[in-house]
Amino acid sequence: MKPLFEQDHYEVLEIPRDAGPDGIERAYRLILSTYAEDSLATYSMVRGADSAAIRERVETAYRVLSDAQARRSYDSSLGGGRPAPAGEFEETPEIAVEARRAHSGPFDDLDEAGEYDGARLRRARLRRGLDFEEIAVRTKVNSSYLAFLEEERFADLPPRVYVRGFVMAFAACLGLDSTVVAASYMRRYDAERPRQRRRFSRGT
Amino acid sequence: MSANLERSAIPAAEPAGPGRAPRRSAIAIPVGGGKGGVGKTFLVANLATALAKAGYRVVAADADLEGANLHTCLGVPDPGPSLADFVAGRADNVRELLVDTPIPNLRILAATHGSFGAPQPGQADRVRLMRQLRDLDADFVLLDLGAGTHPAVIDYFMIGEAGIVVITPEPTSLENAYAFLRAAFYRRLQLAMLSHSVRDVVALAMDERNERGIRTPLDLLREVRALDPAEGARFVETMRAFRPRLVVNEARTAEDVKLGFSVRSVCRKFFGIEAEYLGYVNHDEAARRSVRSRRPVVETHPRSDAAIYIERVARKLVAGLGGADPPAGDAP
Repeated sequence: MKPLFEQDHYEVLEIPRDAGPDGIERAYRLILSTYAEDSLATYSMVRGADSAAIRERVETAYRVLSDAQARRSYDSSLGGGRPAPAGEFEETPEIAVEARRAHSGPFDDLDEAGEYDGARLRRARLRRGLDFEEIAVRTKVNSSYLAFLEEERFADLPPRVYVRGFVMAFAACLGLDSTVVAASYMRRYDAERPRQRRRFSRGT
Repeated sequence: MSANLERSAIPAAEPAGPGRAPRRSAIAIPVGGGKGGVGKTFLVANLATALAKAGYRVVAADADLEGANLHTCLGVPDPGPSLADFVAGRADNVRELLVDTPIPNLRILAATHGSFGAPQPGQADRVRLMRQLRDLDADFVLLDLGAGTHPAVIDYFMIGEAGIVVITPEPTSLENAYAFLRAAFYRRLQLAMLSHSVRDVVALAMDERNERGIRTPLDLLREVRALDPAEGARFVETMRAFRPRLVVNEARTAEDVKLGFSVRSVCRKFFGIEAEYLGYVNHDEAARRSVRSRRPVVETHPRSDAAIYIERVARKLVAGLGGADPPAGDAP
């Protein structure tokens, strides 16, 4: 139910948390062959880039889970019943939304009050270990536009309606509540955009 | 088997209400797969026979009005009454159109003699037909679907959540099977969503080249959540309830057998749905010979690989539908 980049090692390998070495080995081989370059199972359904991303995640997952010591420390980092490893993806979107509503519970910096500016989008992206290319593939938003969003180079972005769409897609890709993020970001955009136009037009 | 009845009802297409009959209904199992020639009819004929031999009362229904074959595979060369009589309005209830087969406990609703002018029933008739099929006095109703992803085909797949998708180890089959699953999934979603704006987004996503870049149900879920969190929750529920079952036909190698597990993984990772791999049926000369003799292979060659694997699929299917024991005591 979760996109690949939110899945923990067990979810990537599609095995239960208590899987033994045999189960890990079997799952690893099956998934690697399922998402191999010339695989029949993915024909017409999965793009090459997506298969490659899965193979990479599967290799990492296998490296960690097949090493008893690495697995133990990974397991303890997962914590009791938390869906994803610490530091990689702290909250599922539902939890984040719920937490914001309730104004209680453990917030990470993504759920603190305050506006979503370019720097905050950047922090959120880096926490998830995502580069612009990966997000561009997922959101279909050109990677230089993603960079402009983070740098708040509003004058270099297309018209407002597109910017809002980009922010929505970017936020959703990061697992954030895209409506909240877009509203906040666009307030900033509306305040800043006229100023930037003057600044840049003066330069040309 | 009354515990299974709730499970076979589709909440989206037929909301529970005061009009819903409390009496037991048949478990409907649609068998599709998108591509023609993958063995849908062969599987329906043989699964139906295997279940009937195990003591269940079974109806095999042919929904392929433009390529009716099921009667031939079951040894009923000229069934007489047919689904075409229902479509043409000559019969009110398909109950009147069932015909006995040479196999005890197994009746057929054939699809012969369709009108070339208007072969497919309209949507209202399809809904009526599905209700009547579930109301038949039987334990199982297996439904043989035609090829393609036309709404007339896809809607039949909504009749129960135990729908089977048949694939063969060929790119053409995989391509059509994924198109079929995609169509079935989005159709189910469209029926489940309440808000107009969300239904519009689902309709948009059904076009593979939509400008929003919605490629997978997970992309769509993000959009739906952004529009309306309550619809997002319904979306997740619908995803959970949709559990297609996979059968690999014409398996020749160990790789072919593993294909079912691989497709299950793709369904999980890219549709966000849990498919169940029911099993595979070997490529077997006996199967070919049985079709030529116009009888199910589980009858003509009960000891052949194909027959043994089909019976295994039947057992797994029954177990997955609530673990009901076959009345004839057929131990796995």
